[in-house]
Amino acid sequence: MTPVHFSFCSAFILGLMGLTFHRTHLLSALLCLEGMMLSLFIALALWTLQFEMTGFSAAPMLLLAFSACEASAGLALLVATARTHGTDRLQNLNLLQC
Amino acid sequence: MHPTTLILSSSLILVIAILIYPLLTTLNPKLQNQKWAITHVKSSVKTAFLVSLLPLVIFLDQGTETIVTNWHWMNTALFDINISFKFDHYSIIFTPIALYVTWSILEFASWYMHSDPLMNRFFKYLLLFLVAMVLLVSANNMFQLFIGWEGVGIMSFLLIGWWYGRADANTAALQAVLYNRVGDIGLIMAMAWLAMNLNSWEIQQIFFLSKNFNMTLPLLGLILAATGKSAQFGLHPWLPSAMEGPTPVSALLHSSTMVVAGIFLLIRLHPLMENNDVALTTCLCLGALTTLFTAACALTQNDIKKIVAFSTSSQLGLMMVTIGLNQPQLAFLHICTHAFFKAMLFLCSGSIIHSLNDEQDIRKMGGLQNLMPMTSTCLTIGSLALTGTPFLAGFFSKDAIIEALNTSHLNAWALILTLIATSFTAVYSFRVVYFVTMGTPRFLPLSPINENNPSVINPIKRLAWGSIIAGLIITSNFLPSKTPIMSMPLTLKLAALLVTIIGLLTALELTAMTNKQFKITPTIPIHHFSNMLGYFPAIIHRLTPKLNLTLGQSIATQLVDQTWFEATGPKGVSSLQVKMAKSVSDAQQGMIKTYLTIFLLTTTIAIFLAMI
Repeated sequence: MTPVHFSFCSAFILGLMGLTFHRTHLLSALLCLEGMMLSLFIALALWTLQFEMTGFSAAPMLLLAFSACEASAGLALLVATARTHGTDRLQNLNLLQC
Repeated sequence: MHPTTLILSSSLILVIAILIYPLLTTLNPKLQNQKWAITHVKSSVKTAFLVSLLPLVIFLDQGTETIVTNWHWMNTALFDINISFKFDHYSIIFTPIALYVTWSILEFASWYMHSDPLMNRFFKYLLLFLVAMVLLVSANNMFQLFIGWEGVGIMSFLLIGWWYGRADANTAALQAVLYNRVGDIGLIMAMAWLAMNLNSWEIQQIFFLSKNFNMTLPLLGLILAATGKSAQFGLHPWLPSAMEGPTPVSALLHSSTMVVAGIFLLIRLHPLMENNDVALTTCLCLGALTTLFTAACALTQNDIKKIVAFSTSSQLGLMMVTIGLNQPQLAFLHICTHAFFKAMLFLCSGSIIHSLNDEQDIRKMGGLQNLMPMTSTCLTIGSLALTGTPFLAGFFSKDAIIEALNTSHLNAWALILTLIATSFTAVYSFRVVYFVTMGTPRFLPLSPINENNPSVINPIKRLAWGSIIAGLIITSNFLPSKTPIMSMPLTLKLAALLVTIIGLLTALELTAMTNKQFKITPTIPIHHFSNMLGYFPAIIHRLTPKLNLTLGQSIATQLVDQTWFEATGPKGVSSLQVKMAKSVSDAQQGMIKTYLTIFLLTTTIAIFLAMI
């Protein structure tokens, strides 16, 4: 595995672990999600360069556009949570808890 | 055009036109006269009979047969259906006989049904039936035959259920339709096979092409059709139940004309069966079983019409046996002679029933020999003709059939059954005559016994003449196409007569015992078997519907509702999902943290699996 490959893979995995192992705030989960998106962006850009497939040049831009939508959806959810529960602490999201 | 063929074709088409004319007058919205039944229907049948004698005489003289094809009705790319009439040996002889019998029955019905406000409709139905029957016997292709076949079936339904206020009549009419329908399945299957394999419904083409095919399947279909229409064993209960209809209906449909349609179909299509042993053996055994079973049932019936109905069924079984012997012309001869005496027996029964104020039980008749001499004489003549008394009408056909049976290489079981049934014929005929005409009267003193009306007596007299001389006339004038075996041992030659006399002597002996207590306790089971018609209707009419309905119920409830909807269909899918979701959320307990941790676990496993 080349160093570039290793770097964005580890960035992705670290972001994923950060998404799952956070303990307190929803906002940190969303930030890690953004980190994952960023690593994917770099991976797509490297794909175009490494395999010299110029047809895929637009792909990173598309990913960026969709991740922006997704980030905005996540932030809207955060705001809604803050409105209903008061905070964004994950301990409050226990309506379905048995 | 040669005058013979011109006269033949035109008079036969004229017969059909004369029969249809009164039906067309009913389409006129203007009110018809009250006596329409007598002025239009009866005279049209009489005229049609007289006109149909002309082709009969031409056929007698010159042996001309004709096929008249009128109209190219419809066709698909490869299949034509025409309207074509075949007037050959069978239909040229049968049509005048049917018209003669119908004329007598209509005249009788004008007396029998005179108090019925819907008498005109009754006559219209009878005429419609007659038209359908003539179409059936003169059909040259299966489609036209099917039209006539269904026509007679429907008219039978309407006429049996004439007194529809009576629940038994409705049940009987429904029974007739259902049993006939089962037979129709066979006919339609045969027609479909013929259309697929021989690509034609024209009878001549079928005869020509059938030599290359194995015809067992369509022949079994045709035998099933004959079983349904001609009340052979298995599909026979509708015929005694059909006695719920008025007596003219029983006389016309269920003795002379409609029930012979099945046999007629087999006679018409006999060249297909000549070489097929399976079909012939089926006919033989089925006919033998029918004739014995129904004769045994007739022995203990108490309703005069039911006894005559079972006797009809027995004679139909005999006709089926004859077809199984490869003797279609003898079967046809028996159809013709049987029409006369059976219709007369029914008309005599009708006269007796009306005279005794609608009493049909023979245990409540008696001594009518002196009170209704003409009717009881004709009843006796009819019964003698039925049993095959030498040189009356029934003798020529029945004796010829028994002789052919004795001298053919066939199943001995069928032979024994037929001979026993012949002796039973003598027994129940004697029983009818004894209970009705002999002894002392067992009915109420003030019964309106009156047989002086000419519309009662003339038909019965005409049919009596027919019962006496018809056999002689037909056999002397029409040569058989298959040579009958003339030389046989004396015992075989006299076999029919001997068994009949044995039956008669047994019956006489039994009647002498009626006022002596021969046994302390009677043998009830055998009597009950015969009286309850072999328990056949009691079992089949309850068991088959019950089985079908419970099958339907179990399909609807267990299969559809409980299995497909609940367990496997939409509700099953949802219940499975709910179970899975519950087990997963049990592990998560509604906490986001555990949910996300499991998400990570799944993703890592997937990545590692992808790496490998």
